[in-house]
Amino acid sequence: MAEPILKVTDLKKVYDDKPAVDGISFEVEKGEIFGILGPNGAGKTTTLEMIETLREIDGGSVTIDGIDVASSPVKIKQIIGVQPQTPAFQDKQKLGEIIEMFAAAYGERVNVKEFLDDVQLGEKTNAFAEQLSGGQRQRLSIATALVHSPKVFFLDEPTTGLDPQARRNLWELIKMVRDRGVTVIMTTHYLDEAELLCDRVAIMDSGKIIALDTPQNLIKQLLKRGFKKEVKVEQANLDDVFIDLTGKALRD
Amino acid sequence: MHHIRKQLFTVAVFTKLSTRRFFRDTLALFFGILFPLIFLFVFGALSGNDNVTFTVALLNNSKTAYAHNFAHQLGHEKTFKIDKDAGDLSQAKEKISRGQLDGIIVLPPDFGAVQAGQSHPSGTAQVLYNKSSSGTGETLTSVLQGSFRAANAKYVTTQLPFSVQGKELNQKNLTKFDYTFAGLLGFSIIGMGIFGPVNVFPELKKQGILRRLRTTPIKTWQYFLATMFSQALTGLVAIAAQFAVALTVFHLKVAGNYFEIIAFTILSIFMILGLGLAIGGWAKNERQAAPLSNIIVFPMLFLSGTFFPRFGMPTWLQHVTNYLPLTPVIDGLRLLTTEGKHLTDLGPQLAIIGVWFVVIYAVAFRVFRWE
Repeated sequence: MAEPILKVTDLKKVYDDKPAVDGISFEVEKGEIFGILGPNGAGKTTTLEMIETLREIDGGSVTIDGIDVASSPVKIKQIIGVQPQTPAFQDKQKLGEIIEMFAAAYGERVNVKEFLDDVQLGEKTNAFAEQLSGGQRQRLSIATALVHSPKVFFLDEPTTGLDPQARRNLWELIKMVRDRGVTVIMTTHYLDEAELLCDRVAIMDSGKIIALDTPQNLIKQLLKRGFKKEVKVEQANLDDVFIDLTGKALRD
Repeated sequence: MHHIRKQLFTVAVFTKLSTRRFFRDTLALFFGILFPLIFLFVFGALSGNDNVTFTVALLNNSKTAYAHNFAHQLGHEKTFKIDKDAGDLSQAKEKISRGQLDGIIVLPPDFGAVQAGQSHPSGTAQVLYNKSSSGTGETLTSVLQGSFRAANAKYVTTQLPFSVQGKELNQKNLTKFDYTFAGLLGFSIIGMGIFGPVNVFPELKKQGILRRLRTTPIKTWQYFLATMFSQALTGLVAIAAQFAVALTVFHLKVAGNYFEIIAFTILSIFMILGLGLAIGGWAKNERQAAPLSNIIVFPMLFLSGTFFPRFGMPTWLQHVTNYLPLTPVIDGLRLLTTEGKHLTDLGPQLAIIGVWFVVIYAVAFRVFRWE
């Protein structure tokens, strides 16, 4: 097996003597979509932020592509792309300029239109950021995180607050990014999203990883333990009804 | 080398985009450019074109024709109101102690005489003033120097082996508007340099925009440099607009060199912006930023000669306020613009600005927070 692209060993973060992340370890393979699930306050975002160089690491170590995060944050920044929980952009700035700006932050000059086309915003190159809908802002943010062809792409709860069409569209985008060879690591608290998108998931609670496997294996293990749902699963749910009635196509 | 070029490319793009954003932002345009112009109209109208007048005693101890002429001419100048009652030194001194005179001009016996071996008259006039109003005295001295300069040019320049052709200096004396104008330029530099970042940075932090930038390799110095350049560009536009109004509406006569004025303005903008970067960069939110910026800005507005000329202040206060960051900016702008001085004459001002520059940016870098 190839060397894992991300290696987290005994990672710790302490806030006011309370462990927010309590010695977690996991590895992510190249080309995976890896999900970190858990209730609010489980330590998902803190874990992600330590890996992204945004928070100091209190204990343990993280390496991405063999580079140590704590000792070489600048090198790490060159190979990661980050999607924050609520992407925001400065007003009075055109979409094309935002792409230009993020590319420039890496010292790069890119074909702006191409990156906006990738996220279906090509026609809005000259629109201002403040005119975008929530879903469009998420897509623009994805484009800004890919300008420097990162090896690993982090998303923090990307679909929170989006309507079903925008969510489905974002899933397609995330798969597209993965198909280009970028490893994707995302947090979410939507379980359907994790089941559909992620190759493997880690479930966190109170700063610890309590389960780590493929979604299918986790479900199998649960069933083996004799678990039974009380209500028989419907062949379709309300989500499917909604999409059937309003269409799958993206609306802005 | 390649690495540095890449980093400077980052600075260039950020500068360009941030400048563009400023000119699209109606609110920024209003506060940055229109607001100072409104002040200029108000204060310009208030100070009008009235001369600052000094009430002086003129004691002419010289019998030369030149001294006689000089005394006669001084009597006709608007800047000086000559008190005829003060006939000798003791009378004049008593009047000055009662605050009835701003100063005493003494022309010594040899004033205006032609010294041996020279072909033109010369002499040194004395200006006597009270210690408690040294500011007025210094201003008086510099005004008098202005009128001597014109006279000197007439006599000396053509004879000096290495001089260029003597350029007639502004014969106009300092007006109230000259003081007001330099002060208002200082006001607009403060307005953009401090209130700009102080309002914007906490908002950028709140929305996580700076935090997102921090996940890229951009460095604090690159971000600062881009902000400085963009501020210099927009600041120069604002200052140019004020010059345009001052020149056309208030008949400002610029005695100095525009390149020197621009260079000095850019340096001043950089230094003052550092205060904004330090406050806005440190503050986590508006509630921290607003009071701190007010504590720093308001004393400067009142004590650095923004709205009130400093020469009217008591001496001790002048000494203290000399060292505020804004004071050398306003003094320097006035000296360059209306008094025809050059950057080489601005040693003290440049030194104070330089020291503040280093101190302010050292603090700004240290306290800057991306979130």
